[in-house]
Amino acid sequence: MNETVATPGNLAELRALLQSESLVLPVGNQTKRPLATDEQAQLVSLRRMSGILEYEPSEFTFTALAGTTIAEVSETLQQRQQYLPFDPMLVEAGATIGGSVGAGLSGPGRFRYGGLRDFLLGVKFLSGDGEVINSGGKVVKNAAGFDIPKLLVGSMGRLGVMVEMTFKVFPLPGRLQTLAVKCASVPDAIKRMAVAAASQWELDAVDYRPGSNTLFLRLAGPDKVNQMVSRKIRERWGTDVTELPESDVFWRAVNELAWPERDRAFAVKIPAHRGVVEALAGWVGQNSRIDLHISAAGTVAWLLCDAQSDLDELDRILSEHQAAGLLVRGESKRLGIGCWPRTEISLALKQAMDPVSKFPHLFHN
Amino acid sequence: MVTSLDGLASIFPKSRFVRDAAYQAAFESDGLTAFRAKPRAVVIPETADEVIAAVRWCHEHSVPFVARGSGTSLSGGSLPVADGIVIALNRMNRILEIDPDERIAVVEPGVVNQHVSDATAQHGLYYAPDPSSQSVCTIGGNVAFNSGGAHCLKYGMTSNHVVGCKAVLATGEVVTMGGRSVETVGPDYTGLFCGSEGLFGIGLEITLRLLPKPEMFHTVLVGYRSLQAAGDAVSAVIDSGLLPGALEIMDALAIEAAEAAVACGYPPGAAAVLIVELEGPAEKIDFERQQLEAVLAKTGHFAERVAVNEADRLSIWRGRKSAFSAVGRLSPDFLVQDGVVPRKRLGEALVRIEQLSKESGIRVANVFHAGDGNLHPLIMFDGKQDGALERAEELAAKLLRLCIEMGGSITGEHGVGVEKRDFLPEMFDASTMAMMERLRLAFDPRLVANPGKMFPGTEAPTLSQSGLHPLEKAGVISRE
Repeated sequence: MNETVATPGNLAELRALLQSESLVLPVGNQTKRPLATDEQAQLVSLRRMSGILEYEPSEFTFTALAGTTIAEVSETLQQRQQYLPFDPMLVEAGATIGGSVGAGLSGPGRFRYGGLRDFLLGVKFLSGDGEVINSGGKVVKNAAGFDIPKLLVGSMGRLGVMVEMTFKVFPLPGRLQTLAVKCASVPDAIKRMAVAAASQWELDAVDYRPGSNTLFLRLAGPDKVNQMVSRKIRERWGTDVTELPESDVFWRAVNELAWPERDRAFAVKIPAHRGVVEALAGWVGQNSRIDLHISAAGTVAWLLCDAQSDLDELDRILSEHQAAGLLVRGESKRLGIGCWPRTEISLALKQAMDPVSKFPHLFHN
Repeated sequence: MVTSLDGLASIFPKSRFVRDAAYQAAFESDGLTAFRAKPRAVVIPETADEVIAAVRWCHEHSVPFVARGSGTSLSGGSLPVADGIVIALNRMNRILEIDPDERIAVVEPGVVNQHVSDATAQHGLYYAPDPSSQSVCTIGGNVAFNSGGAHCLKYGMTSNHVVGCKAVLATGEVVTMGGRSVETVGPDYTGLFCGSEGLFGIGLEITLRLLPKPEMFHTVLVGYRSLQAAGDAVSAVIDSGLLPGALEIMDALAIEAAEAAVACGYPPGAAAVLIVELEGPAEKIDFERQQLEAVLAKTGHFAERVAVNEADRLSIWRGRKSAFSAVGRLSPDFLVQDGVVPRKRLGEALVRIEQLSKESGIRVANVFHAGDGNLHPLIMFDGKQDGALERAEELAAKLLRLCIEMGGSITGEHGVGVEKRDFLPEMFDASTMAMMERLRLAFDPRLVANPGKMFPGTEAPTLSQSGLHPLEKAGVISRE
């Protein structure tokens, strides 16, 4: 496996690399390892092309180079009482904004206002033939031209090299408080998750841990408001509700995909719905080698495991439900798990974005 | 040689393949009434299979088609192509599924925006995007043009609420993008499809994300003696850390029109009014209303009205939502623009608009989504006067260039359509335009899907003077 990583310091160096190498895979800090390695391609890390270029708190926007870490962005935003509402993943691991867009990962907080896709306004990128493309815009509302930034979300470096991006941000909502709600069974938990998600409590996150059959409801607001909303939740579910101490530690572990007591070799993101959650919870319930966390009110599942055989079984379960998963940690023969539809249009789009085949195939092609 | 439409006609019963001149005339224009073109035929599918068959026939015979819902596009997005056909989707108006537990609705493209919220209200849910034409505009059109509304600052545009879409592409390929989850893996094809202005294909089954209806609204109408003061108030609200659901401004001319049309009771003598709406759990609103009051107290307003109940709230919104059609009372015709500027440059933009208005001798009323810098200057003219439309268009062009110059966008929510297609290359450089052309060709190598929109080109529609949209005259729709 080719593990030498080129690290251009500016656009000119990046373009030169793109010209001289026959196959290139752009990466950030490689925190989603399976997406940032390739047998044939020259790895090109954008980590030296880093820094916030513009930040206008009153505009709710900032523009930064792709190699800027989420940690740096978050710190800068925090100083002005703002944040990234999509709740980025793997922040402590060193994730960059470019890598986060490429992988298309959002955290539990995506429940409230939307995911990374909903906060990405513009992307400057190099197409496979070395052209600089300025897609989207820098203002919070824009309907001009095709929404190429959204196509780049989840593109895994296979459609272009993103060099700079503009995000929308929001004011920090206030203090975080988390309530744990003990449930009687998986169906009970799924039902309560739906109630919480459709409630008027304006929750910040609605997550579920099947292992302990517990829901985790995160509130974000002024203390006084949190207390009153908490009271409503306690009125609804009585003694099943307790306040979670060290709420920050709990959520950080989710964002870092590090909640199990021991490290797991593999991590998989699975866009989910009720049928998928039921199937996964049913399967994992009997298996202590696998950890499952359901996020964003049942719309995404994070599955951590150690054995390739467990990934194979996951592949079977997801295929049965016409669902797909993405390997974001661990070395495996395949990154796409389950059912990734292969369409003519995805091939044609890849060709349009990368006419000289400078980047690896989208692996479902 | 003109292609015979017999093959296409054979797909539909006679009553739903229409070439009758009067019927065609009903489809010759949309919300941008300055342009007209007569289609060769209108087909009215009732099933997805009929839509697919029609698109495949068009692809195979290289006959252009325009998909159309209620025809409320303000950028001429559903304007027919003179030698093409119109695929009218209004009968594809079934809500296929509502899943309150998963908070999604699966709908056909002809479903009216407001009907989604109506149908899901019993579950305490609603569909957030609220273009002013929401009582008639359809989800298919909303998806094609990534429509906005008054609540985009907090909730985003249509694409933020579309989680999946089964579509027939211009090539006839049927694809399913996204699914039932708000999350995806791999490139976000659904996101690309939204806002593609009908150039990629036709959505057949669209999966929408629903939100819980807020427990409480707190709506305040504030009157100012100057437009500048209202603009400064917006910055003060934003800087305070509040995140209102809506932040809207209307200027004196727009207020005058709205007052005459719906007697909305806005403060007399105001040079501008600001509408601020907070929403959320009652406890949160109790807290935030005090914060808002403190902020507004320092903005030098001379009048303030807090909605005391839902009827009062709706009456405040009625003035805002009727503003566009109300301007029709001040002027026989008008053009509405949709540019975006960075919020901090709103004041500057308004001063420049006023200057340009004076220089050209053309009256301009302003209504805008101040929270996200989305301007809606209403350029008034009398189409019966020689050259008046052309002069209005010249002014419109200056306003669009102003938005580009300020680092904004030529359109916040109406789309490029026919109206602004010549300006897209001014906003995007040549390589970015070339990339968009390549994407278009990937979806539609024969350029049959809604040609003449978004990209500058030769497929020119007829420019003609008009008047208000018939539905607008009837007070059924209004423009955002």
